Amino acid sequence: MPSFSHKDNAVLRTGAVAGQLVRAIWAGAMVLLLLQVMPALAQETAKGAEAYRAFPLFGSRLAVWGIAQIHLNFAAFILGVPIFAVIVEIMGMRTKDPRYDWLAHQFVKLVFAAFSTTALLGGLLLFLLIGYYPKFFSYLTGIFYSTMWIYAALFFLETFTVYLWYYGWDWLSGSRKWIHLGLGILANLFGTAILLISNAWVTFMMSPRGVDEAGKLTSLWQAINNYTWMPINIHRILANIVFGGTIAAAYAAFRFLSAKTHEERALYDWMGYIGNFVAISSLLVLPFAGYYLGREIYSFNQTMGITMMGGFMSWLWVLQAILIGVLFIGSNYYLWLGMERIPGAERYRKYIPYLIMVLAAGFMVWATPRSMVVTLQESRAMGGTHHPVLGFLGVMSAKNTAVNLMILTTFLSFLLYRRANRISVKPWAGMGMAAQWVIFGLAAVIVTFYGVYGYFVESIVRIGFSVYQVMAVLGAIVLVMTIDIPMFKGARSTGTIRWGQIPPRSQYVLILLAVTFTWLMGLMGFARSGIRQHWHVYGVMRDTSVDAVTPALGYAANVITTVTAIFFAMVFFIFWLGSLGEKGKHPHGMGPATAGSSEDRR
Amino acid sequence: MQVPVTLKVSAFALFVMGVYTYYANSIPQLQSKPPEELSLEGGNVTPDQLVKAGEEIFKGKGTCEICHRIGQKGTRAPDLAGVGARAAKSKPGMSAKAYLIESLLSPAAHLVQGYPAIMPKVDKPPIALNRSEVWALTAFLESLGGTVTVKLDDIPKTAGAAPAGGAAPAAELKLPGDPKAGQAVFMGKGACIACHKAGPIGASPVGPDLTQIGKIQTPDYIMAKILDPASMGTVAGYPPGLMPRTFGQTLTAKEYLDVVSFLLTQKGEGPAAKK
Repeated sequence: MPSFSHKDNAVLRTGAVAGQLVRAIWAGAMVLLLLQVMPALAQETAKGAEAYRAFPLFGSRLAVWGIAQIHLNFAAFILGVPIFAVIVEIMGMRTKDPRYDWLAHQFVKLVFAAFSTTALLGGLLLFLLIGYYPKFFSYLTGIFYSTMWIYAALFFLETFTVYLWYYGWDWLSGSRKWIHLGLGILANLFGTAILLISNAWVTFMMSPRGVDEAGKLTSLWQAINNYTWMPINIHRILANIVFGGTIAAAYAAFRFLSAKTHEERALYDWMGYIGNFVAISSLLVLPFAGYYLGREIYSFNQTMGITMMGGFMSWLWVLQAILIGVLFIGSNYYLWLGMERIPGAERYRKYIPYLIMVLAAGFMVWATPRSMVVTLQESRAMGGTHHPVLGFLGVMSAKNTAVNLMILTTFLSFLLYRRANRISVKPWAGMGMAAQWVIFGLAAVIVTFYGVYGYFVESIVRIGFSVYQVMAVLGAIVLVMTIDIPMFKGARSTGTIRWGQIPPRSQYVLILLAVTFTWLMGLMGFARSGIRQHWHVYGVMRDTSVDAVTPALGYAANVITTVTAIFFAMVFFIFWLGSLGEKGKHPHGMGPATAGSSEDRR
Repeated sequence: MQVPVTLKVSAFALFVMGVYTYYANSIPQLQSKPPEELSLEGGNVTPDQLVKAGEEIFKGKGTCEICHRIGQKGTRAPDLAGVGARAAKSKPGMSAKAYLIESLLSPAAHLVQGYPAIMPKVDKPPIALNRSEVWALTAFLESLGGTVTVKLDDIPKTAGAAPAGGAAPAAELKLPGDPKAGQAVFMGKGACIACHKAGPIGASPVGPDLTQIGKIQTPDYIMAKILDPASMGTVAGYPPGLMPRTFGQTLTAKEYLDVVSFLLTQKGEGPAAKK
């Protein structure tokens, strides 16, 4: 038997490596070639492909709708919760409170369990699109094929980073915690990049760009960077944080209600508060992102914008207003209930009726429809399609004003909660508080001024006013907090927070917020998709299938409710799986003191 | 007996969603239906029929009512009451119909003072009216205080030239059928010639002249019209329900594709254009 020296082995290894390298280069070249050829191939295929196939029993559209919505809910969950977890991990690093780190770890564990479900649903959605909308999907592939490779690569990168983030939790602790946090941030960056790519596909369908009149690709970058891409990106990132926060809070609420001991209740009360805090922080900015999106839709196509706001979808915005009203009022109510467990908060109780009044008035204005379909009798009784008095509240000027004042009010509630058991010892506290009230007042005046002025200008100018209103509110939030943080640094405490001593109805409020927000996501998905009406790609590729009719709101609501119920059932199952490992353990493993231990760490 | 938390939370979540669903179902239910294609070319259309067809386009496919009102001042677009009379005086030396047609096809050309330039070209996607529809819509607008004088020839031949949907995949559809074999089916087994004319073939006035059908209609429309004529509406000026629904059973798949391919080659000058 011939023997080989180390040198021979080295030569053989070198040869093998060279062979592998050649094969790898060859494979890479083939992939590159495919990347070059496939888009053209797909566009060719699109011309001759069968346009539609029928999904058995309930049709192709419903099948795609249902799976897409559940997939999107899970995708929002696995993208939103890591953002939430990183924020909580940073809070843990800053405060040195081990509970934050425990909480972040808990949620990454849940994301971990949801990852495979999201991928499976994504695969199923892909099969449905290829199988039942082959011509449309071939066309879309022809436009975006190269981005699909990047999407797949990013998915791998995100998955492995999350694996490392989760399994390296204890390994990368102590002095290496920064590396661990870096992994969390990196996972979120990969996740956000995935979101941006899939948003390009969806928004292209809504506001196509980068194609000629015949629908042929002229610029991939323009197709990606279409009118609604960036607004949707911002809107979805913020909405994902709200979603992650509300789901986290709902999970905590469920655990609170199921808790057997006071310690458990205290822990999950705190956890619910943190989840809700993160959700509200992002929710406050979300309407602004919505207006930015609306403005871009009008810029892309006035007809589409007008159809969306005043056409067959006009009633949808009334329903949306109700849902957002529930979110705002629910969030405030939760904060007010939470103040009951804070000694010293009684002094702020007198403000609550006024806050309720502003919120209720804002809610009513926002829920006032402007254009709607009415019967002849109703129209006669009202003197037209618009109510003679209330009709004026149904326009964007009034609604923008209402929502901005509601946001300011919610921020004020948060501010009162924040200082509930603290008394500033700074000598300039009186002046600081006066300055804060002036800032609040100025913001309210600016918002109201542009709201009224908006009635006297053209719609395109009016839409621009919303930017000034938004800037006034955001500016006020930043300035007030800039004063508030140093003002209450080292403040005198009036007592510790009695975590766990909150009425159980507060936990149902958290569940209400999670359900409402998830339902709202479904509704907004219907609105975004529905305004394309009988177009797969608006103005470019027409929907000629039997499902080209855009359904009414009732039908959409039935679908949204069914899908949301299925989603929550699946999430419940995943949470249950996640809790199996905890059976017989201490509720939070590490056992830090909870009740009343964090009065200065809110 | 204590109700389990899981049950209470589930019931609560379902109740909340139930309330939203009930509300959504209790308000007016509006669907957005895809517009039907209207073809008037080759048809014997009276001015009244034309105006009626135009009014339907105004309220439906044209989506004009989103911004325009008749007899009511709008904030986005001018009141169209009396526009038929006004249009004749809007531009010296320009007839009412010419003004209206140009306003529909190039809205920026005649922007009414005080209103933003937001009107889309009606013959381009997403509205994408075809030439017949632009004709009918112009007639309807003329009828608002004026006299209907517009003819199909007044509408530029380029108007609505792109098929509805405009996308390359739909526009460049190549069917595997044989037009020559399709002509034979048209004249023979299909007996289409009994009612329709297609270029030099046939002369029957029972159904619409199909000489231009390949130019003015999409393949999807032609295919659907043969299999289920009622689903695609009836060409104005012709009695509904006359075309049989049996071609799906009597023609073979090859014959069907051949006929469609033959009709897609019919892009000649129609009788209206020849006048």
